[in-house]
Amino acid sequence: MKKIFAIAWKDAILRFASSSELIFFIILPITFTFLLAGGTPSGDDDNRVRLVVVDQANTSISQEIIAELDKSTAVRPDMVSLTEAEDEFSSRRADVVLIIPVGLDLESIQNGTAQLDFRQQPNNLNASVAQRAIQTAIRRVSSAVNAANMAVEEAEARGTFESSNDQQAYFNDALKLAKSVQEDVPERVNVVEGSTPDQVEYDPRANQSAGQLITWVFIPLFGISALFAYERQQGTLRRILTTPTSKATFLLGTISGQVAMALIQMSLLILFGMIALNLSWGREPLALFILLTCAALAAGAIGTTMGTFIKSEGQASGLSIMAGMVMSLMGGCWYPLELFPPVVQNIVRILPTTWAMQGLLDLVLRGGGLVDILPEAGVLLGFAAIFFSIGIMRFRYE
Amino acid sequence: MLKTFLIGIKDLRLAFRDRAALIFMLAAPFVLTLGMGLVTGRFSGGSNGISDIPVVIVNLDNEQLGNTLVDIFNSDDLADLVEPTSSADSEAARLLVDDDKAAAAIIIPEGFTQSVIPLAGEQPIEKKIEIYANPSRQTSAGIIKSIVDEFISRVDEGSVSGQVAITQLIISGRLAPQEAQATGEEIGQRLNNTNDDALAITLNSTTANGEAVEFDILAYLAPGMALMFLMYTVSYGGRSILAEKAQGTLPRLLVSPTNSMQILGGKVFGIFLTGAAQMLILIGATTLFFQLKWGDALGVIILVLAAVFGATGWGMLITALARTPAQVGSVGSATMLIFGILGGSFINIQQMPSYIQMVSKVTPNAWALDGFTTLGLGGTLADLSTPITALLTMGIILFLTSVLLFGKKNLVQK
Repeated sequence: MKKIFAIAWKDAILRFASSSELIFFIILPITFTFLLAGGTPSGDDDNRVRLVVVDQANTSISQEIIAELDKSTAVRPDMVSLTEAEDEFSSRRADVVLIIPVGLDLESIQNGTAQLDFRQQPNNLNASVAQRAIQTAIRRVSSAVNAANMAVEEAEARGTFESSNDQQAYFNDALKLAKSVQEDVPERVNVVEGSTPDQVEYDPRANQSAGQLITWVFIPLFGISALFAYERQQGTLRRILTTPTSKATFLLGTISGQVAMALIQMSLLILFGMIALNLSWGREPLALFILLTCAALAAGAIGTTMGTFIKSEGQASGLSIMAGMVMSLMGGCWYPLELFPPVVQNIVRILPTTWAMQGLLDLVLRGGGLVDILPEAGVLLGFAAIFFSIGIMRFRYE
Repeated sequence: MLKTFLIGIKDLRLAFRDRAALIFMLAAPFVLTLGMGLVTGRFSGGSNGISDIPVVIVNLDNEQLGNTLVDIFNSDDLADLVEPTSSADSEAARLLVDDDKAAAAIIIPEGFTQSVIPLAGEQPIEKKIEIYANPSRQTSAGIIKSIVDEFISRVDEGSVSGQVAITQLIISGRLAPQEAQATGEEIGQRLNNTNDDALAITLNSTTANGEAVEFDILAYLAPGMALMFLMYTVSYGGRSILAEKAQGTLPRLLVSPTNSMQILGGKVFGIFLTGAAQMLILIGATTLFFQLKWGDALGVIILVLAAVFGATGWGMLITALARTPAQVGSVGSATMLIFGILGGSFINIQQMPSYIQMVSKVTPNAWALDGFTTLGLGGTLADLSTPITALLTMGIILFLTSVLLFGKKNLVQK
């Protein structure tokens, strides 16, 4: 036990010999979490898609459309001038622009010439959401006119009007009634956030916090490979052969030390999430600890295996960062897994990052507890067992 | 001039012989671009990655409106977007969402149709469709909600039209009150059969640069990754300057008829050449393997050179400020990652707060990525004046600052 502790302590001293290690240990993870979470609105912020609107018509109808858009749960209208809108759109600062041209009024809707211009950046998910919201707003605003038109048609089917003035008066009355009926239409949809037994408040930033935590803990744990390569290059591993230290003791000391440091790093990042982002990380501390330990063991085991294949410290360092970034990307740590094509969603289940991310989201977003994360923890332990076995079998001092 | 050129070529060859450096310079951006292409659906033909959203529908209404909503979710129009399943049990459906098996559950309550179209002589009882949304699938749940919202707005439009038509007919004496129920049903049936999707206001939708331009999402992702790892290359080059100083090979060059400006110029030229070669190899590889169209060739080359110039300026500044090669290595890697995220390699910077967007302007990544996106959208060299000017200005300012700092350090002296 003393040997294991001594090896772990030696690795800690080696790792933090340069203060620049702190950049990767805590500064970069916090910077990334802050920037990515800063780009994600919190539950309290207005997370609707920004829709740049130019109202050139300035009529009651155009005002009604804007009011309907403002009520939308999908878009947030932002009124600007045409020049500003074109400038923002051409410099890609605006995903979507709606231009309400001069002449959009009741008459143009009645005679079927009413038009709106909608400009969208290509391949933009926000654009398709905004287009649907605009269509809904148009439908709501024009439905009163449609209803009045229909009322006139039904009346005409039962006898013509005496004059065009009579017809217009009938239309006006119908329009007034339609607007009044519309106002009394009840809400017909109720949105309920998924079950969170302890009333966990949904915060999209939790996704980024969890993702960055995994990314920045997996990368240094894969870096165990660089530690082995460094010691092998320096010949210090060979020197251990002269001491009464078994291979298992050495590996246990190195890996447990790195896993312990990873747990400290994760605790700091969780504290940052709780204090700076107000996330509910502390709800199930035991489940969180178990999950994070399993994730760290899996990553440490992969780093150990990598260390038996890679020859130089430089290569190990490069491959650790690359493997960590790729696994995090594919595991849903940077972008939600729901955005991935279904085939890819299934393929990425072979990665430990996917399971670690799933487990953290179960805890922080879905209000899960110890029982809920056991499958993910089990899979992560499976990864650890497989890769430790390979690493120990292949490990050589020279 | 020849000496400067030769020192530059020597450094270029050294960089491309270093296997560890090649991992960062070429392998990492290529593999990450590949990963980005996979997750965005670029290689599986998906337009934006979202498809087959799992949604479970519980139709307890089993009447006209409930059945219509089920039909909408099972229609050919939504076949690619959603993957609906039916359930008779509301609790089981909610459980599927809780277990992350579905993005949302739509529960249509019993009597929903009658709450919109009440039976003769009965007062409507308010009923609401419940959308039970998965909190970890925010985007998918939002799309499901927008589909239900659109359906409801159509239902309301029909309902309002029917009510207004009947009321007006009665008020004007064209219809007897006792005929209202039958006429209402007749109008409702007609509206149902018309199935008119046309809106009273036409929405003319256009894409930036016209409909003809099909923007390849990889044209944004691939430059983002290449630019991020370009920052590694420039700091790697800077590290070699300090390493040579530490090993004494830099001062030894002074024994030869070569002055310090030629040596430093050669080292900087070497970094510039390595960065340009890295970018051009990545552009060539993604064009070859991913059929990625980078756009106007002349624009791409000039933009690459300007981006490398700006990035080299940063590499020189880091080198001038650092004391040891290890410091350049760690600060360089950190700068690479921070510039990567600020420059839009991971997330579209337009989604970030305005002050972060402002800060991002100090990175060559943001300007160059803006230029590459312009080219990807069909722009030419003429459209790149702003990013190219910004990158060149950035490079000049950083070079001048670095020269001043190098002068104080007397770099070439041991």
